[in-house]
Amino acid sequence: MADVVTGLLTATLCLMGVVFFLGGTVGLLRLPDLYSRLHPVTKGDTLGATTIILGLCFQSGFNPDTLKLFAIIAFLLLSSATCGHAIGRSAFVRKVRPWQTPAAAPRVEKREGESRGLEEA
Amino acid sequence: MSRFLLAIAIALMLNALVCLYRVVRGPTAQDRLIGVNIINTSVLVVLLLSFFVADRPTMYLDIALVYALLNFIVTVALSRFLETGRKPLG
Repeated sequence: MADVVTGLLTATLCLMGVVFFLGGTVGLLRLPDLYSRLHPVTKGDTLGATTIILGLCFQSGFNPDTLKLFAIIAFLLLSSATCGHAIGRSAFVRKVRPWQTPAAAPRVEKREGESRGLEEA
Repeated sequence: MSRFLLAIAIALMLNALVCLYRVVRGPTAQDRLIGVNIINTSVLVVLLLSFFVADRPTMYLDIALVYALLNFIVTVALSRFLETGRKPLG
């Protein structure tokens, strides 16, 4: 009986995690610029990985391996947000332009100060 | 159960393969970095899944912990390099 319950919990949490990962991927591929892509990727990634590892904790049972899984979750929660902020900050310092709707964009044809993220600002 | 976990791992790897599109043609270097970051996280989760599929050798958990640390260091160091244009501590 307990076996069936832990199996169902693991299956549900793993499927939820895959759905979150899929959402992050759709955001990465479909959104128009770097700042808006950063948002679904960091959040979907963190939540998906955390959910799947939590489901694996149920599968592992009560032993030292579970402690390591929890350590990985804690580190992932710390590091993923920091990575997202570091990437966004590097783009902002390098003057990568945010996306605008065509109506709101300025009427300049050729933008000279446009940076591709690598050149000198 | 191990068959189900294997299916989850395969789904995550296909997901990472689709993310490779953004790495190949992201307009900025930071876009590529985001793509690499999501692939790294998927690989970490696949390592943990294969720990259960391969009948729990403890080695896999240690590898996953080190992989998470390396992932963090690589992303922070690269974005720092893109921000300042010089080596860290250089």
